[in-house]
Amino acid sequence: MRKGVFRDLSILLLLAAFLLGGGYFLARKLWSSGLDLSYQVSYHQEEQLGNLLSELVLKQYSVVEGTAADTALQQIKDRLTHVLARSPYHYRFVILRSGEINAFTLPGGNIYVFSGLIKFADSPEELAAVLAHEIGHAEKRHVVSKMEKQLSLSVLLSTLSGGDPGTVTQILTQMLGSSFDREQETQADQYGLGLLEKAKISPRNLARFFERLNDKDLDYNESLELLMSHPHNNKRIEQVRRYKTASDFHPVPLNISWERVKKSLSITDAEN
Amino acid sequence: MEYAPLPQPEEIPEREKEDAMGAYLMMFAAVAVGLPLPVINLIAAIIYYFINRKKSRFVHFHSLQSLLSQIPTTLINWALVIWAAAIFFREDWKLTPEFWGYAIFAGACTLLYFIVSIIAAYKARQGKMYYFLLFGKIAYESAFKIHPPGVGDASPVNRPPF
Repeated sequence: MRKGVFRDLSILLLLAAFLLGGGYFLARKLWSSGLDLSYQVSYHQEEQLGNLLSELVLKQYSVVEGTAADTALQQIKDRLTHVLARSPYHYRFVILRSGEINAFTLPGGNIYVFSGLIKFADSPEELAAVLAHEIGHAEKRHVVSKMEKQLSLSVLLSTLSGGDPGTVTQILTQMLGSSFDREQETQADQYGLGLLEKAKISPRNLARFFERLNDKDLDYNESLELLMSHPHNNKRIEQVRRYKTASDFHPVPLNISWERVKKSLSITDAEN
Repeated sequence: MEYAPLPQPEEIPEREKEDAMGAYLMMFAAVAVGLPLPVINLIAAIIYYFINRKKSRFVHFHSLQSLLSQIPTTLINWALVIWAAAIFFREDWKLTPEFWGYAIFAGACTLLYFIVSIIAAYKARQGKMYYFLLFGKIAYESAFKIHPPGVGDASPVNRPPF
């Protein structure tokens, strides 16, 4: 009997090794044949998903448009996107009415800024710095990476329950509710700093914005979760400070009346 | 080593055939009602085994074979769950070809296990023995081996009056 057991065990182990090797070979084959499982979402699909998720966001929040704030935002967008080299995205910047000091990026280059953040920003350059950081998340495809995480969660849930991995609304909740990881925040910061320099806006504005958040003694809570994903703001401020601009760098101020922008938001808030 | 004679299909009562088949179908029932964790089907199999093992050697064999054969699949699926959880929760863990390779492997093992379980359930319902590799031998040994008298026998509690 014992002999038979060892023979069976050997067959089972060989079978397992064969299946494991076969699985790995298949995954490698798919990976290298262009069906990159980490980046299986194409830009076109990303845009479609972005539009779908945007519709859901717009059902939740009212949009601030036709105001000085909106005009200023588009002006900043033009300055930043003008210097982007071959971006696959057609950026869309939208102001949402909310007191939260927050901004977030959805797939397909859809960037949303809460009016609370614009009111908090001390200058158009500070707002531009935050937006450059958000563009960094889009360009580095962190949003897709987040979807990738979502996909791993789907595998997790499917294995656990065999059930439906989730709906679009759940994906949205996940995207709004979860933050980018530390490495991604650093990458977005670095990208944003380079973009600001190219757009002739001082990268120091990003540090200034973070410092003012710290000075205000705003707790790390849900209102800051997306923008300040991890409680390592001082480290991030330090990184921004260390960023060296080219020796011939001269910032060109944005021609925006910031007082007028803030006033326009207060007026629309009062109207609503 | 002595083994009890194997019962033939016509000697096995219908009820025992159903109980033996049930051992394999427990897992499908656990999946069908959406029990949340892969380990639940294993717990169900353990409970089923301990409830039914005394019924007959035939039921004992099938319920033990079902229980034992679920252990590797459960462990493989749990490893997948832990890996997927690590990718989701840890910053430095990414979706890699290795992960997808393992996911394919786990899926193939589960599928294979489902197929052999259905065959075993069908055979058990017909009153036939069906031996899985390795687990079939262990279950047979446990269910049909006759222990020599005196070995492991406790002194009887109930005795005649004279």
